[in-house]
Amino acid sequence: MTESSPATPAESSPATPAESSPATMRRPYQSQAGMTTPPNPATLADILERVLDKGIVIAGDIRVNLLDIELLTIKIRLLVASVDKAAEMGIDWWRNDPMLSSREEGLTEENRRLQARIQELEGGSSDG
Amino acid sequence: MGESGRYMYAVTRGVEPAALGEVGLDGGPLEVVEEDGLAAVVSSVDLAEYGEDGLRRHLEDLEWLERVARAHDSVVQAVSRLGPVAPLRLATICLDEDGVRARLREWGTELRSALDRVADRVEWSVKVYMPGSVSRTVSVPDAEPARPADARRDRGLGTDYLRRKRTASDARRTAEEHGARVAAEIHEELARRSVAARVLAAQDPRLTGHEGTMTLNGAYLVAAADADAFAEHVEQLAGGYTEVRVESHGPWPPYSFATLEQP
Repeated sequence: MTESSPATPAESSPATPAESSPATMRRPYQSQAGMTTPPNPATLADILERVLDKGIVIAGDIRVNLLDIELLTIKIRLLVASVDKAAEMGIDWWRNDPMLSSREEGLTEENRRLQARIQELEGGSSDG
Repeated sequence: MGESGRYMYAVTRGVEPAALGEVGLDGGPLEVVEEDGLAAVVSSVDLAEYGEDGLRRHLEDLEWLERVARAHDSVVQAVSRLGPVAPLRLATICLDEDGVRARLREWGTELRSALDRVADRVEWSVKVYMPGSVSRTVSVPDAEPARPADARRDRGLGTDYLRRKRTASDARRTAEEHGARVAAEIHEELARRSVAARVLAAQDPRLTGHEGTMTLNGAYLVAAADADAFAEHVEQLAGGYTEVRVESHGPWPPYSFATLEQP
């Protein structure tokens, strides 16, 4: 056991084995790569997931509502192409956002169907 | 400060701004705009920063976003400590108080029924992780029991290799299925114990820094009076599964349940 974690204040108390989590495996992974995320407190991902994606949607006078918020999620996703920063902050909920990912899959699927259809038509045109 | 707008954090039934013990974005004092028995908690923000152009620019800045998201959440939390809360989505901004009042009138019925649904209730977040990445940690058995007939017929390392691969992929599939089953069991049990339940999109372990594969990201609405019992139940339930890690966090304001439509 190497206790070489870079002294994060949150971890300074000697971790008692019977800590709140009944999890059997608590691996040194936790203190990896300057990741100071303690096991329990809300991560930024948790907060963003809620303040951006949940709650009441009412259009204000400043129009960054509904559609724009969707746009925002896409922007974040693009921005997060520089993943290191995002990883640090624990942002990634958009990855599995069914709305976003299904839309993409939908597009891919549609694209595939259209291509198939074009081939079909091109093939068919020689007949008639 | 140039032109200012009114940033809306949350709607409740009535609250004294002083009782909130919080300040708004950029230190702006919180105010309450009332209409029709509803109260919006707001603060003034500079439209140079929070106007359409400003927001478009700033929303691409993660540090800005984090600061605003946390401030927004702190105010919502403060409101939730004092009464029922319907949190508004980040960056809901009106030009003036009249705009805020107009929204409260326009959405009054829906807001009231959202508040009814969440009054005296809190949200718990429960996440379940399978240890490691399931697909990477399943080991390939060195000597797997081959069916005798096969062993005789199939000769050569290639076949062995393929068979081992197949066994590994079977094991992987089993582990994944098991993980999904455990997650479903836990969710069902917690859903039974709560007023309402939702499954949110799983977060990616690589990016949240958590170990393992998140197989459940559940949100549960429970009576505030039962919150402790619920938390205890989560812990007990978690204790019954040695193969997964269960993390619970709460109470949250009822973000996932205070929606305009019935969730």
